[in-house]
Amino acid sequence: MEGDDRVFKALADPTRRLLLDTLLDHPGASLTELESAVAAEGAAMTRFGVMKHLKVLTEAGLVVTRRDGRRTLHHLNPVPVQLIHDRWITRFTEGPTQVLADLKHTLEDQL
Amino acid sequence: MSSTPDDAAPLVPPVTTTQVYQVVVRATPQAVWDALVDPEQTTRYFHRARIEVVGDRIVSHGPDGDLWTDGAILESDPPHRLVHEWRSLYDPVGAEEPASRVTWQIDDRGDGTVLLTTVHDRLDGSPHTASSVSGIGWTTVLSGLKTLLETGEPLVC
Repeated sequence: MEGDDRVFKALADPTRRLLLDTLLDHPGASLTELESAVAAEGAAMTRFGVMKHLKVLTEAGLVVTRRDGRRTLHHLNPVPVQLIHDRWITRFTEGPTQVLADLKHTLEDQL
Repeated sequence: MSSTPDDAAPLVPPVTTTQVYQVVVRATPQAVWDALVDPEQTTRYFHRARIEVVGDRIVSHGPDGDLWTDGAILESDPPHRLVHEWRSLYDPVGAEEPASRVTWQIDDRGDGTVLLTTVHDRLDGSPHTASSVSGIGWTTVLSGLKTLLETGEPLVC
């Protein structure tokens, strides 16, 4: 599977999006903490289920883990989403956006 | 992923504010290293900053020549690992905050690509810096670096 396919597949699941939302607010969360977050949303899921979802997110590059002693900490990695953004948006909008930003500055400088 | 025990505590805000970013780049470790320390290349992907190594420091300037960042190099192992201080001199509030730390790790994946990991940590005392670099601050640097090295052209002109 290509990189973008993995990212879209990973994002096409509400529990995985919930995990990413949790990591956005709580960078470095442990597996147990992520389990609690999923449970707090009323989603019935085993520890194994959460691990399975984290594996899909990790393979898509959306979650990066690092070790802190015996703990595994999980971080949201937004770069794959940025690459998708670049592909369809940045290349086409940066020019016009810059023109508008310049216009705004020019007009505001005249105030 | 690991099944080692974690603190069985409810989710609380993190005590650390470590930010981790990662991208796979089709390039050699040396090419990625060069892109990190060559000002002619950094202007093309790093928010237009001219970043250069000056003695044992890494220093960056904006397009108008303003000093943007200046930090001691803490570890340099080309073309694998570069660790340096970060001070947000481009921003009056961030400039008052203590130095944080940026780690660049370049791992050869053995298939013509490298995994580039950027960790920005020691941000606990620098909330303004943490918020100014988070998300799009770093993601555009990494995606821009990937595009530059893989296509030879910057993402935006």
